[in-house]
Amino acid sequence: MLRFRCFFYRRRRYGDLNVSIREHLQEKIEELMEEGMSREDATSAARREFGNVALIEEQSREVWQQTFFQHFLADLKFAWRQAVRLPRFTIAAMLTLAIGIAAQTTIYSVVHAVLIDPYPYRGAMRMVHLHLYDKEPVPDDLGLTGPQFAEFQKLPVLDGAIADDMYSRALTGEELPEQVEAARMSPDGFEYFGVPALLGREFGPSDNPHVAVLSYHFWKSHYDGRRDIIGRTLEMDHEVFTIVGVLPQRFAWWGSDLYTPLAYSADPRRIANVFARLKPGVSDRVAEQQIDPLLERFQHETPDNFPQIFKVHLVHINELAIGRFRGVLIILFVSVSFLLMLACVNVAILLLARGEARQTEIALRKALGAGGRRIVGQLLTESLLLSLAGGGCGVLVALAGIRIVRHFIVILPALFPQEAEIALNVPVLLFSIGVSVATGVVCGLWPALRASRTDVRQVADAGSHKLAGRKGTRNSHMALLAAQAAITVLLLACSGATVQRLSRLMHADLGYDPHNLLSVSLAVPEGAHAAWGDRAAYFEQIRRTIEAAPDVLSAAIKEGSLPPSNFDSTPISIPGMNTAGREVEPERVSAEYFAALRTPLLHGRAWSAPEMAHAAHLALINQAMQRRYWPNRDPIGQTIVLNHGVAAVNVWTLVAPGNDQHFQIIGVVADTPNRSLEEQVAPAVYVPYTAIMHDWFNLVLRTRASATAGLLHRIKQQVHAIDAGQAVGDLVTAEDLLQGDMGRDRFVASLFTAFAFLGLAFAVSGLYCIQSFLVTQRTREFGVRIALGARREHIVSLVTRSSMSAVLAGTGIGLALDIALGQIFSHWTSGNSRDPEMLAIVVAVLLIAAALACIVPARLAAAIEPMDALRAE
Amino acid sequence: MTKNPEYRDLFPGALEMMILQSLRLKPMHGYALVKHIKQVSDNLLQIEEGSLYPALQRMLKEGWLDSKEGISAKGRPTRIYRLTNAGRRRLNQEIASFEKMFAGIARVLAVSKA
Repeated sequence: MLRFRCFFYRRRRYGDLNVSIREHLQEKIEELMEEGMSREDATSAARREFGNVALIEEQSREVWQQTFFQHFLADLKFAWRQAVRLPRFTIAAMLTLAIGIAAQTTIYSVVHAVLIDPYPYRGAMRMVHLHLYDKEPVPDDLGLTGPQFAEFQKLPVLDGAIADDMYSRALTGEELPEQVEAARMSPDGFEYFGVPALLGREFGPSDNPHVAVLSYHFWKSHYDGRRDIIGRTLEMDHEVFTIVGVLPQRFAWWGSDLYTPLAYSADPRRIANVFARLKPGVSDRVAEQQIDPLLERFQHETPDNFPQIFKVHLVHINELAIGRFRGVLIILFVSVSFLLMLACVNVAILLLARGEARQTEIALRKALGAGGRRIVGQLLTESLLLSLAGGGCGVLVALAGIRIVRHFIVILPALFPQEAEIALNVPVLLFSIGVSVATGVVCGLWPALRASRTDVRQVADAGSHKLAGRKGTRNSHMALLAAQAAITVLLLACSGATVQRLSRLMHADLGYDPHNLLSVSLAVPEGAHAAWGDRAAYFEQIRRTIEAAPDVLSAAIKEGSLPPSNFDSTPISIPGMNTAGREVEPERVSAEYFAALRTPLLHGRAWSAPEMAHAAHLALINQAMQRRYWPNRDPIGQTIVLNHGVAAVNVWTLVAPGNDQHFQIIGVVADTPNRSLEEQVAPAVYVPYTAIMHDWFNLVLRTRASATAGLLHRIKQQVHAIDAGQAVGDLVTAEDLLQGDMGRDRFVASLFTAFAFLGLAFAVSGLYCIQSFLVTQRTREFGVRIALGARREHIVSLVTRSSMSAVLAGTGIGLALDIALGQIFSHWTSGNSRDPEMLAIVVAVLLIAAALACIVPARLAAAIEPMDALRAE
Repeated sequence: MTKNPEYRDLFPGALEMMILQSLRLKPMHGYALVKHIKQVSDNLLQIEEGSLYPALQRMLKEGWLDSKEGISAKGRPTRIYRLTNAGRRRLNQEIASFEKMFAGIARVLAVSKA
């Protein structure tokens, strides 16, 4: 009611005001006329002395209004009408912003979840692995005995430490034993991690050693997520444990299936891996300085557990988990920032073009008495509306993007640390929206700033600028175009490099046939088959039994997994040759290995069964080894000395009697990748697996086609028949392994490619927009030119010349940047962004797309009918 | 609007004070008010004629003025502005504070001359 009255009250006030001002002017005019002026002169003099009538009326009215709100509403209405009137412009600007914001936010969310804060543990950023480096590139994890750990734990730089060791153990007491990864962890370990149990409770120092806490994953897969398992028992290697709790999904330390309390034994050969958390504010260097002397003392006590000369190096757990992927993620983040930049440039182009087109409108508004503030306010409302709408869409697209990435995690679990939980990162979302809103605001206000500098007459004056286009505007457009082209070249080059790398991986020469090849891991229960001869016979018995199965063509034993597996390299010496500092990849396999993999034996022979059984000192080498050491000679009969861990024996390794590490070469086999799919094959030496045995091994099986269904169950049954307590691990096919290896590259390549094409789309639409704008601006000029006899081709070249040269310049800059930054790129992603062939394709794609974007508006320009063009004004 | 350098800008509140003072003599309509101020000040004070109106609206809103329908000198309908009691009080306050300020300025000027 009050509002209603206010409204009428205001109406009356406005009427009064109007009457007063009209009478004021009228009276003044009459007085001036009485002084002898003509009516015309008197009118203009009166108006001059009065000032801008519309502006003054508005200022007077404002006294009665809640001005800000009313102006805002009016502006909003107007902005909405503008947006609806130019749907193509609106949709283009909104989509561009939305995609830029969403891509940036999604990728940053991944980077944050994976790199910056992947772990749910308390103080995860300060948690470290302690790596012992000697001269080998692959470090050892720190292992300590019980008393040593007790002392280590007390170091003042540490905020807690845990000891744990992981075993593959057999889950017995069921029909067939199942292999599980069990971690024995310090009794106070869960306190250290600070993650509460999902179900039941975690164990603590007061618990007896026969309690178990299950991982979420194992609980789901083995117990179907049943809640009534708390308090029930399970049996591992015939030992009974009580299940006391289930961990939340994000607790995945070492990816174990279950955790039991670690009871350090008094045996000094029994060591456990040690991990620690630094106190807040303690730098790695300071901590290392404190830890080093302690470890040196420990080394004197138990020299077998340490390398001879070493240095401790702290590695934070998040660094370790992500490894080489870090560089890729950083590059991804940089490119996605480029993408957001491109999006902003595009919006800038759109807004500037529209602003230019609205100069007349703004000049008119000014002439009609709009104050500078009102014009700015209105343009601000328009650009804010646009930016916020784009931001809103951006949020939706970002949410969709996060879902897609989560989907990738489900299908490619090796991609990210298991603990990582990818969620929308709100600060970055706000940042991206902020950047785009700022762009929108700055570019949206630009016409207002321009208008404040221009004179009404200039603009209203039949549009002199419509003849040639304003030079300043054109320059800024051309600079934006060049920047877009440069960024697009970089994005396309990144994409090209990753795709090229992926295709190289997919077509890599494997040196073996991965089809119908699979491997199964087996771990011997702790302490079983503890004598060397017994264990060798046991392994061979299992191998022979499986090989006799109907679907299996051949079965071999290999200590590591299938190629390309990374194994520790080991120093080598060859009598009569200087091999100081040289290393080879030692591969411990059985004689059937080459046949199973279908790796050709090029030269010489493999071991016979008795040689294998007695761990004969005979070795095979790969071609890379021959090329390195005996390029022009027959290596057969040569002797090599491997130093592969015979000296540092612990309870888990069994060394063949008489193993003096001297081996005589009996054959040469073809290369198989042994570092990674893309690295050059390193020299490798194959020795009988019996030379040094651990308590686990892999069975490599070559099967008949489509034999995998039920195969694992049959293997389990056969192994069960040999030893009822022997569990069998999961079955992996070589093809799955290779796919898994490439999953990351595939993911990266598809992301980069998506970015590159989005970037290209932005650049092309920006170019198209500028071209169309130029043509509209110069319609009249072109009409005149055509009327005066200019040829159509001339018009086309007139329209395209400057834009194309801007694109060319941008492409050049982009190429130069790409070549300059290639080093960094290849360092981080091990892709080559400088490949000339790839760059040629990139440039061709960009230029063709740019030419298309130029030609369409140019043809429109050439098709202008002079009469229409002149009449249109 | 270009400004004539011979004339001074008004200080804040000056225009309001002059309007209040003029209307104390008799109710007037807008143009009469402008003419009155110009005449009385001997054209020494430059006021943009239009700027009167926003000021009038402000003062109406504050309740210092009142307006009613009336007839202009030329016999056409217009609005006549009249001082209210609140306006009168306001004017007295303004004059008092202006005189204080003026006295202060005069003293400072006298000291610096001496």
